[in-house]
Amino acid sequence: MIRSKLILAVVLLSGLLGSCKKDKSANSNTTGSTTYNPDPVEVTGCAIQTGISKVVCLSDAFKATLTSSQVATLQTAYSSANAKKWSNLPQALVQSSNKRVGLNFGSMTTTQIQYAKALIKAVAGAGADEGWDEQQQLLNADEYLGANGGSSEYGAANYYIALLGTPATTGTFEIMFGGHHDAFANTYKDGVLVGATPSFRGVEPFGTFTWNSKSNQPLQAEQAAFSAMLNGLTTAQLATAKLNATFSDILVGPQKDAAFPSTPSGIACSSLSASQKALVMAAIATYVGDVADAAPITAKYSNELDNTYISYSGTTGLVTQNDYVRIDGPSVWIEYNCQHGVILSGNHPHSVWRDKKTDYGSN
Amino acid sequence: MRNYCFLIAFLLFAGDLAAHPMPGSVVKLSVLNREIRGVAFMPKIELENAIGRPVGNLNTPFFTRYFTSHIRAISGGKPWKTTIDKILVATTQDSTVGSYDEVEVHFLMMPPDSDNLRNFTFDYDVIIHQVVTHSAIVFVEQDWKNGVRDDLTTRPLGVIKLDVPTGKIFPLEVRLGEGSSWKGFMSMVSLGMEHIREGTDHLLFLLTLLLPATLLVKRKRWAGFWGVSHSLRHIVKIVTAFTIGHSITLIIGSTGIVHFPVKPIEILIAVSILVSAAHAFRPLFPGKELFIAAGFGLIHGMAFAESLVSLDLDAGSLALSILGFNLGIELMQLLIIVITIPWLIILSRNRTYKEVRVGGAIFAGIAAVAWIIERVSGSPNSISSALQAISGSAYGLLFFLAILALLSYFKKNSPEAD
Repeated sequence: MIRSKLILAVVLLSGLLGSCKKDKSANSNTTGSTTYNPDPVEVTGCAIQTGISKVVCLSDAFKATLTSSQVATLQTAYSSANAKKWSNLPQALVQSSNKRVGLNFGSMTTTQIQYAKALIKAVAGAGADEGWDEQQQLLNADEYLGANGGSSEYGAANYYIALLGTPATTGTFEIMFGGHHDAFANTYKDGVLVGATPSFRGVEPFGTFTWNSKSNQPLQAEQAAFSAMLNGLTTAQLATAKLNATFSDILVGPQKDAAFPSTPSGIACSSLSASQKALVMAAIATYVGDVADAAPITAKYSNELDNTYISYSGTTGLVTQNDYVRIDGPSVWIEYNCQHGVILSGNHPHSVWRDKKTDYGSN
Repeated sequence: MRNYCFLIAFLLFAGDLAAHPMPGSVVKLSVLNREIRGVAFMPKIELENAIGRPVGNLNTPFFTRYFTSHIRAISGGKPWKTTIDKILVATTQDSTVGSYDEVEVHFLMMPPDSDNLRNFTFDYDVIIHQVVTHSAIVFVEQDWKNGVRDDLTTRPLGVIKLDVPTGKIFPLEVRLGEGSSWKGFMSMVSLGMEHIREGTDHLLFLLTLLLPATLLVKRKRWAGFWGVSHSLRHIVKIVTAFTIGHSITLIIGSTGIVHFPVKPIEILIAVSILVSAAHAFRPLFPGKELFIAAGFGLIHGMAFAESLVSLDLDAGSLALSILGFNLGIELMQLLIIVITIPWLIILSRNRTYKEVRVGGAIFAGIAAVAWIIERVSGSPNSISSALQAISGSAYGLLFFLAILALLSYFKKNSPEAD
């Protein structure tokens, strides 16, 4: 009773604040939506900015909506110890010493969340079902889980945003965002994106679902791209790419930093045809494309492609339990695994994109 | 079977386990006289992932061979002999994945040379040999010479998992440390003390028996104070008789010569409280308290023996354990008597002691009946649950007794007379 009144008050108040700020709310969907999962605002004051200036402008605009104690929780000095506190689990299930830092949506007003999302949207990729769209769909998926058997530990209220270091055109800072099945980590140094990983993506439910008046299908593009990559191999190539081990999860999940196989397994991309290589790059693009500044990273992975290996376990469909695929290069590490559901029946994927050289911006 | 050990496991190693869709395996080892006994707990689904098919019936030669070949110990270059005792499946709970089926494998590992029991290479790779994302956390659950007697007094030895850079699963080097008989003995003393401190029923029996120990009997009723020296002598005799009684059955029971059935003993203990409560109310067996104390001592000793039987020790360690355990029991009893009896003596010189004695007898009587019902029916009732809840506040009761005694001492009323 009190809770619903509180939510009503927050909605009314935020509506009031929103109108004062004269920022246009993007088409706000209310069906199946909650106060903690609104669409981002168009921050008009930052519209003319580009690149790092825009990131700083949006960070400042977001902080301007917060109380001083919220700012203190959101933004702390850069620390690699805090950067390593990410997880695929809902916050409630994360072991205490690894709990995410920062502000959770559940402690923010709708307007504050809209500004937080505006920042993440700007640093995330712009493609359909990738980048920001994928982030919003992952939030929708967790809202869906919360409403379909998951407890209050699930849902957008349990997602965290943190600024490690002060966003500025000089110095080091990281924009951290994450919650159940999601970790987004952009590290900047002197105005340049120096690390976009570790980046975790998972989703349950793994079928198309409707939420927020929108059809959601996060990670289906990833699964399709991996599957196309494997199915593009010849029988002999597939045999070389096949791993004997079984994977019931990914290998280098949270807190398993800097522990990659010293010898790559599978088939070297140097032995692949141009069209097969293009399929590998297409699969990589479903992860690298999740950040706005993808071009330099794509170029690096493309240059290193001949020394990159692909491997798999299970079936090439990548929807069956224990199906597993890996892209392992001098820098790039992407692994994807299909496991049985926890809240819902059916399988769902876990995947991680790491960069062996620039995880946490090499910090 | 899931208990604190798993909590500790998660606190210490959640970094390893939390990322997993299913909890890792947990292996608990017990160092016995000539062999290591172990239990391995693993999610059934991960075992199925490892063998590539549903497990079906686990009690087949296939699984005996599977577990024997993946649970190995080696010392001095020589392999130990692993035998699989039994394999069970149970449903269990986990905070991350909720309810799931868990396979329990009970095994024994015997070295060719039993002197080498404490230092060995534990080459365990059940599931992990195939499912490289799985891991196993290894605990020592029992190691007498190091004072480890349950998984609350232990820390994990380590985690067995794939070392990603090398792609290898390194076995666990187990170095238990020599320990000593002294450590084992002292651990048993503290176990004995714990047993009395936490064994509300033993404690209540003893206190109820002592409730009228300071009083004279007149016309088959409790009458006035017997005098300090007489009372003390009587109390010492009762306690000694109880000690002799429970020592006899403790020795017989813990050697394993005779196995006492648990349930009837537990019921008899509750009956013993009821009998001494009735005696505290009206003298049923005046002058024969010694025999009652010794007789019921025999019963209580049978229950004490249960704690030692499960340790499965060699003769020398067992003898030290019985001695240590009994010493712990005596120390705790003595402590309780020392902090209770002075107040009872002071109180019993006073007329108001009647209320204390009768009140105590009624309380003990109700408790005894509740326990009898609980132990016969096998399910707790509201009174026994309430007793469980207030058993921690025994110190409060003692404080209350002390206040009462001091009040009565300063009021200087005439002695109790019925």
